[in-house]
Amino acid sequence: MPAPVRRKLIFACLSLAALALVLAGTAFAGAGRGIPPADSPNAGGIQDLYLVVLIVTGVIFVIVEGALILFIVRFRGRGRARTAEGPQIRGHTRLELIWTAIPALILAAIIAVVFYKLPGIQDVPAAGAAGPRMTIQVEGRQFYWRYTYPNGAVSINQLVVPAQRPIYLVITAPSYDVIHSWWVPQLAGKMDAIPGKVNHTWFEADREGIYQGQCAEFCGIEHAMMLTQVRAVSNSEYESWAARQLQVSQDIGKMTFLGACAPCHGMQGQGVIGPALKGNATLANPQQLATLLANGKGKMPPVGKGWTPHELASLVAYLKTEFVSGG
Amino acid sequence: MAVRAEPVYPVPWYRGRFTSWITTVDHKRIGILYLITCLVFFGAGGILAVLMRTQLAETNEKFLSAEHYNEVMTVHGLTMVFLVIVPILAGFGNFLVPLMIGAKDVAFPRLNALSYWLFLFAGVVLYASFFADGGAAQTGWTLYPPLSEQYAGNGVDLAILALHILTVSSLVGAINFIVTIHRMRAPGMTWMRVPLFVWTVDVYAWILVIVLPALSAGLTLLLLDRQAGTHFFQPNEGGNALLFQHVFWFFGHPEVYVMILPVMGIISEIIPVFSRKPIFGYTAVAFSTVAIGFYSLLVWAHHMFTVGLATPLLGFFMISSMIIAVPTGIKILNWLATTWRGNLIFDTPMLFALGFIALFTIGGLSGIFLATFPIDWQAQDSYFVVAHLHYVLFGGSMFGIFGGLYYWWPKMFGRKLDETLGKWHFWLLFIGFNLTFFPQHLLGLAGMPRRIYTYSRGGWETDNMISTVGSYVMGAAILVFVVNVIWTRRRAGVRAGNDPWLGDTLEWYTTSPPPPDNFEKVPYVTSARPLRDLRKRLETRGA
Repeated sequence: MPAPVRRKLIFACLSLAALALVLAGTAFAGAGRGIPPADSPNAGGIQDLYLVVLIVTGVIFVIVEGALILFIVRFRGRGRARTAEGPQIRGHTRLELIWTAIPALILAAIIAVVFYKLPGIQDVPAAGAAGPRMTIQVEGRQFYWRYTYPNGAVSINQLVVPAQRPIYLVITAPSYDVIHSWWVPQLAGKMDAIPGKVNHTWFEADREGIYQGQCAEFCGIEHAMMLTQVRAVSNSEYESWAARQLQVSQDIGKMTFLGACAPCHGMQGQGVIGPALKGNATLANPQQLATLLANGKGKMPPVGKGWTPHELASLVAYLKTEFVSGG
Repeated sequence: MAVRAEPVYPVPWYRGRFTSWITTVDHKRIGILYLITCLVFFGAGGILAVLMRTQLAETNEKFLSAEHYNEVMTVHGLTMVFLVIVPILAGFGNFLVPLMIGAKDVAFPRLNALSYWLFLFAGVVLYASFFADGGAAQTGWTLYPPLSEQYAGNGVDLAILALHILTVSSLVGAINFIVTIHRMRAPGMTWMRVPLFVWTVDVYAWILVIVLPALSAGLTLLLLDRQAGTHFFQPNEGGNALLFQHVFWFFGHPEVYVMILPVMGIISEIIPVFSRKPIFGYTAVAFSTVAIGFYSLLVWAHHMFTVGLATPLLGFFMISSMIIAVPTGIKILNWLATTWRGNLIFDTPMLFALGFIALFTIGGLSGIFLATFPIDWQAQDSYFVVAHLHYVLFGGSMFGIFGGLYYWWPKMFGRKLDETLGKWHFWLLFIGFNLTFFPQHLLGLAGMPRRIYTYSRGGWETDNMISTVGSYVMGAAILVFVVNVIWTRRRAGVRAGNDPWLGDTLEWYTTSPPPPDNFEKVPYVTSARPLRDLRKRLETRGA
């Protein structure tokens, strides 16, 4: 290859590299588009920290990658002989001390900001605009989330809460289950649901609405299907919903089916990993079904262990209309 | 009548019967065996990665079943960590350490052979587990109980067996490196004249010796739980599920540095040679290696920020993780300073080394997000972590490893890899890599967890599609590399000579490939750049 052509090629390659790095840089700076808006004070606090670290690392990124590209362009061979040496500089103690101390100071500053912001992220307020704190028990199970409310009501996968009230979550998993992680990014960071350990986190939804989340710790074959949703509603709507949840109903049955059964047996009960439900003899026999749900069998985990009688009754009623009596 | 003699080359070490390869105890042959085996496993692990990216290209894709995806995801991780990066660095160490320190071989050549054959056997066991009852392990490479104790088949048992064998292999290899480096250096090679790659291999070996027993212990307890009816990690029987995570990451995080330190050593060899300058701040680069090795033992619980640790522990592990960024930053700045005012030569090894700096910097910076534990509560176990670890282990380790292959190929085989194909390889890989992994940062922040076999949520399709296309570009880059290797092997190419790059270190003093005993005579080492000293002496004598 003649030298001028090669030089042009090298230039082309370098400008391509520069372009790639600049693009990566802007994408990094614009990474905020990746984060959904924070709708809870603790998620907001985390987002503030994220922005602080983003700015600091963004500046470092530009300096380091900029110097790299600058040096590549400035100190390229330019027709010098391959054997020509650069100045034999072995180091510079003061310079090296400076670039050891500055990063250390920057990191110390980040650490200080973290501890300054931490109470706002970690501490659960006693009350919000719409009322006092409320405690909800969260259980991660293969492959659904089970929420127990103060009045004893239970819901599967969908957590219904009053907006603008601090919701204190007590998170665990049954001792025979595996580790899961509760995560609804718009409301709070994740917290693991660990068998034999009780963890806590909280959120306070700024507004009424629906927030999506899903299990973040790999928990087995249908980990990807272990979704959850937080529905924030008004106080009065919450009260009437919670009262309704105490009755046996097709709605509860359907919710239980979709959360606990459908990941393995299919949304229409057509069978995926587990067998098809239609015409399945066990479904017609509530006693047998209860035993199966409580103990599991083969690959089927004990999904229904510890369920309340009305959850069970609701599911039986729903399965009966859907899969037994020709529905 | 005068007959012109053919130039005589020593019989290359790679000529010889098949059995001579099976029975060899020559560190160079064992090094080559390591490199080739690891590249084969790299191909296998890469195919698994492309399968995963194909499955994730679109929402509700049905390309792989949940079971198959989980097996592929688990074996991909185990392969890349245990069968590619760690052993390929052992391969580089095997080939290079004795040559760089002017020794005839490693301290224990037979143990060295044992170490390789155990490694190969472990790899075969892991891949055989695809055919086991119940398929390969479906647990992720971290093998967390109680989940890993739930699977009835033998996939998890075989994964444990493979890792157990590998621990023995690595331990033997590590002790071999330590004794070799500490006892067998050439006359005059004081610690401050040891090549930086050898420094990093020494720290690599020390870390392995310290942390591998923890992995062995954890795996043994896991196996006992699965097969002997114990309950170390089963909470329903009084065990503790988190205990395994502590033990695993006490091994697992130092393992990350095991995978990057020798690569930093490779970079510290390549950058000065292709800048025609000495490394800037040799002492700082050497001691930052030791500092990283030490701090790597103190950061393990930053993998566990979401398990419900007490706040003082969260603080401790955040601070220790941040501290480790300082020696890492020192290295990057020293490499940059090495290129300053140099005569930069953009041969393929240098391209990969500069690519390493560009990409590893991004991986290091995203690490600061993850070390900040409240941010980690959002980013942990999401695609942000997947992006981070690939920027460190692929953009970092693999780019450095490719740079090292291009750099030392002529020493190993007597011929340079083709430069044009090498540049294609680099640019395709660089572009493909960023396409694949950059969008994953955004996916993670948007709420996409790792290790899911499918997704239906909206807003994730574009970035996933870009990522999948990028993975195909990376696949193409690897094919270019394969073509390059075959092409270089087949063609009647030009011999590279002893010292094709104007190197600094002793391996360039001997022939390419080196004779069985490496050196006829080792020159007295007067600095960290003995070969340049020699060249200068010859120049003055010639003048």
